[in-house]
Amino acid sequence: MSQPHRRQAGGHIDRARRLAFTFDGRRFEGHPGDTLASALLANGVRLVGRSFKYHRPRGIFSAGVEEPNALVELREGARREPNTRATVVELFDGLVAGSQNRRGSLAFDWMAAAGLLAPWLGAGFYYKTFMWPAAWWERVYEPMIRRAAGLGHASGMPDPDRYEAAHAHCDVLVVGAGPAGLAAARAAGATGARVILADQDVLLGGDLLNEPGLEAWRHETLSAIAGMPEVTVMPRTTVFGFYDQGVLGAVERVADHVPEPPPHTPRQRAWTIRAREVVLATGAHERLIAFPGNDRPGVMLAGAARGYARRHGVRAGESAVLFATHDGAYDAAFAMAEAGARIVAIVDPRQDSAAMQRAREAGFDIRTGSEVCGTVGLTALRGVSVRGVGAAGRGDAFAADLLMVSGGWNPAVHLASMSGAPLAWDEALLAFVPGAPVQRERSAGACRGVHGIGAAAADGAAAGHAAAEAAGFVAMPAFPLPDAPAADCRPCELWEVKGRGKAFVDLQDDVTAADIRLAHREGFSHIEHAKRYTTHAMGTDQGKTGGIVGAAVLAEARGEPVSRVGLPRFRPYAAPIAWGAMAGEGVGKHFQPTRRTALHGVHEALGAAWLDAGIWKRPAYYPRPADADAWASVLREARAVRERVGICDVSTLGKIMVEGPDAATFLDRVYANTFSTLPIGRARYGLMLRDDGIVFDDGTTSRIGPESWFVTTTTAQAGPVMQHLEFHLASAWPDLDVSLASVTDQWAAIAIAGPRAREVVAAVVQGLDLSNEAFPFMAVADCTAAGVPARLFRISFSGELAYEIAMPAGYATHVWQAAMEAGATHGIEPYGMEALGLLRIEKGHVAGPELNGQTTAQDLGLGRMLKKKGDFIGRVLAQRPGLTDPSRPRLVGLRSVDPARQIRVGSHLVLPGGDGRSQGWITSVTRSVVEPGWIGLGMLREGEARIGSEVLAANPLMGEEVPVRVVSAHMHDPENIRVRA
Amino acid sequence: MSAPEPTHPLAAHAAPGRHGAAGEAPLRVTLPPRDIVQVMARRGRADALAEAARASFGLDLPHAGHAATGKDATAIWIQPGHWLLTAPRGVEGALAARAAAAFAGLAAVADQSHGRITIAIAGPAAHSVLARGCRLDLHPRAFGPGRAAATQIAHVGCLIHQTDAAPVFELTVFATLAEPFFHWLMEAGAGAGVLIE
Repeated sequence: MSQPHRRQAGGHIDRARRLAFTFDGRRFEGHPGDTLASALLANGVRLVGRSFKYHRPRGIFSAGVEEPNALVELREGARREPNTRATVVELFDGLVAGSQNRRGSLAFDWMAAAGLLAPWLGAGFYYKTFMWPAAWWERVYEPMIRRAAGLGHASGMPDPDRYEAAHAHCDVLVVGAGPAGLAAARAAGATGARVILADQDVLLGGDLLNEPGLEAWRHETLSAIAGMPEVTVMPRTTVFGFYDQGVLGAVERVADHVPEPPPHTPRQRAWTIRAREVVLATGAHERLIAFPGNDRPGVMLAGAARGYARRHGVRAGESAVLFATHDGAYDAAFAMAEAGARIVAIVDPRQDSAAMQRAREAGFDIRTGSEVCGTVGLTALRGVSVRGVGAAGRGDAFAADLLMVSGGWNPAVHLASMSGAPLAWDEALLAFVPGAPVQRERSAGACRGVHGIGAAAADGAAAGHAAAEAAGFVAMPAFPLPDAPAADCRPCELWEVKGRGKAFVDLQDDVTAADIRLAHREGFSHIEHAKRYTTHAMGTDQGKTGGIVGAAVLAEARGEPVSRVGLPRFRPYAAPIAWGAMAGEGVGKHFQPTRRTALHGVHEALGAAWLDAGIWKRPAYYPRPADADAWASVLREARAVRERVGICDVSTLGKIMVEGPDAATFLDRVYANTFSTLPIGRARYGLMLRDDGIVFDDGTTSRIGPESWFVTTTTAQAGPVMQHLEFHLASAWPDLDVSLASVTDQWAAIAIAGPRAREVVAAVVQGLDLSNEAFPFMAVADCTAAGVPARLFRISFSGELAYEIAMPAGYATHVWQAAMEAGATHGIEPYGMEALGLLRIEKGHVAGPELNGQTTAQDLGLGRMLKKKGDFIGRVLAQRPGLTDPSRPRLVGLRSVDPARQIRVGSHLVLPGGDGRSQGWITSVTRSVVEPGWIGLGMLREGEARIGSEVLAANPLMGEEVPVRVVSAHMHDPENIRVRA
Repeated sequence: MSAPEPTHPLAAHAAPGRHGAAGEAPLRVTLPPRDIVQVMARRGRADALAEAARASFGLDLPHAGHAATGKDATAIWIQPGHWLLTAPRGVEGALAARAAAAFAGLAAVADQSHGRITIAIAGPAAHSVLARGCRLDLHPRAFGPGRAAATQIAHVGCLIHQTDAAPVFELTVFATLAEPFFHWLMEAGAGAGVLIE
């Protein structure tokens, strides 16, 4: 026997096909067109979850995104997804779903004992109780609370599915495809405007899906829209945020309705939509009423019961009571009666109305001037208690398994509010509606309080016309609108029925009316404070059904009108979305792009161990089978450079072409040292300061021609230096005729260093006399290398005789291989970043760890580079007393007294037997090949005066104090004999 | 020794053939070899430079957001006073030398033939594939043949030049970032299917 509560016919359900699914391990069947919630109801499943805090039994409360109770886990294994609302999950064959937040079975939840503790578990309970001892919070209290209260569980495994990002542009974005949205899209689309119509549902129509009599208009409208080439319809798409300048965020559920996404299909797609004009037709969410026991499974929003009956052909109950405060809810009673349910009673605090008359004529039992004051049942509703409004006592009992509730409608103002529009109080509807727009948006239909299908469609058509006109399109003739009488949705004011028992204003967060009053008593009387103190409206439903009810309870406690209390600020996300959709493809190594030099393949073939330098991949070292460990590789490579010759990829250095009649003047201003005196064909080491006088970057800059220069920067600062130069050229000195081009990618560069470098380079380069006289240290010349155009620099970072060959990047592999062949007889070895670092530390060259944004030229021993004549960036502020203080730490070399004892970067330098105060720190360390043992560079107070003395390298984190000898930073070849050889 | 053929940064990544879904209208991808030269006008010489471009390359240097094609080269506006001059790949350095000679005293010229690569994408899927990473509106009402724009796609700076209404887009990116960009393109095109020609 399956689906006992399914109607024989009617609704948007394909009864010819059956879909099998399981819920908590039990097998059920549903049909295409079902949501998980409608299929569960069809099968008589009333209990679907346990509440957040008290573990009270809960049933399906709504039929949409506003669902507070029916949160389920979907799928199994790595695809398990918690906290999904069963009311918006499209049923598919093979769906596996389970309830959440329970121990043991759903029907008998051990944690329901929490309900017995309820008197002590009010708002702020955790804040007040789990205060002491503080150390217990992380280890004991929080894990305990998390186990007891909470939602579902993530799979803990990597998500096997793909998520995409995408961008869309339109003249008019229509959010919501109910009567107002459909009419707006059609009206705007008819003008030829580019229109996007997005709706979170798979079927478009909103409330039209509950009105079989208007199906013809829905179809006609959809086909008219489908015939408009510039209208894009996006079903299954939730617009979750409205940001500045007409940017909206949306998530399209591309493959959530199938067990696994098909190949090459993402599960979800995150859209960024840029719209000239926006029409918000987001509808309204029905409002709950706070009365004791209003959370019992079987208590449901009236409109939801109506929708299940009409759209899904499902009776949510067999004997129903309607508790409503306005005429708009009465159609739910008629819908349930049509579906074959018995209407036990209609409870209404009002005395008379048009809808009451019709209901009376239909033979329904109307209890006027009455209210529901309690519910009976354990895990399912068995009856309701009804009394006169405000009367004392328990009232009359009615047996019923469904209580349909409607306290009015809450316009879905979330997106309007996020766009910056203030909210305005509508006294007739007792609701907040969007106020004057701040951005180019307008609301239409129920989301601005225009109820009834006919009225909403007319409102939507007008909004669509207006939006298209505002976007510059000419309005077209009108089209037929649905003819449907509107029921009066103005409720009488009844927010809460006071009595014994818990009356919830927020079902998901287990917040009662009493909690709100407690918050007020304890001083959290502002709506934003009350929200955070009680967690009211902080669940996945964000208080869509009861947010305003909590505000009304607070208003009564404060003795002020609801309009004064207001609602908490709406922020994205208007509805929950999967975070995977936000991450898109930006996961794992695709979080940021990887930058490769032209020689990447060469390094790969050599088996390089990689080093991430920013987004660059650089070879750290090239391990060989004979190397015992990484240090063995690094020391071998460095030794090759010191003793023979090494080859290294230095393509990542920033390279900037500077050209123009004023280029020399420009360089003199941006560098702290002089360049205008540099002859053509020579390079010079340059130092740039920031405006504040701190060292910015260093590098060699060459004069290629009278007006043509080749600037190099460090790898890390290539971008910032280019920005710095462009900024000053554009803003400070627009009179200078200088052109800048980044040529970092155009030129690859190879360093060849070591005593035998000249022989190797001579074999590769043609057309140059490489003798020391003809091509001395710091010489630069264009040449041919292995048959390709190249530029040769005689510069050295290692302290050895060294050259750099730069060539158009596409030829880098060719030149590298030529150099390797030429170097084979000289014992050439490729060396990576680790050996490069070793060599420069031995030589005392500063790099990133020393140019750390805190050091001055004097600190680094480069003070004499600052030119005495002429201005340059950083000159003035570098003279501040704090920066010229002679007691500032200065660059020194450090050598571990016991060569075998390791020293570490970050260790502080303290005096032996002193007061333990830091005198400086270690910036770079390595193991030396010149004089084996641990060496480093550091910044030390009175550094020069302490050369020769011993200090301690203290590292409290490692529990180490290592004696080190202070030496000159230039530990290798201080006279520069080797580089000039 | 004669100069060898330069190695293309995507040589190991862009194997010809079908990738992704087996759709009937795949995104067609080619890697047209190009010489690319950055031209930077000297202060106050814009008019003379425009005249020299007309005389030597038969094109009017385009305004912001546009490209112009002459008899054997295309100029794409990239920033005020800066253009990329592109032509089918020829003798190494020849386009840069020709531009330097034509624009002597009027503009600085930087050869970028190895620093940028161009990926051409064509077919009806091109718009939707680009929309996966490109924030710009490339709808025919907002963009079209002869239009160009610099933007970021998948964190990589990208110059988009539409060359045909069919549509055909030429995407010019930094050579050292070509591989992650191409990876993005393959992922973005997987749904429609990609044919690397």
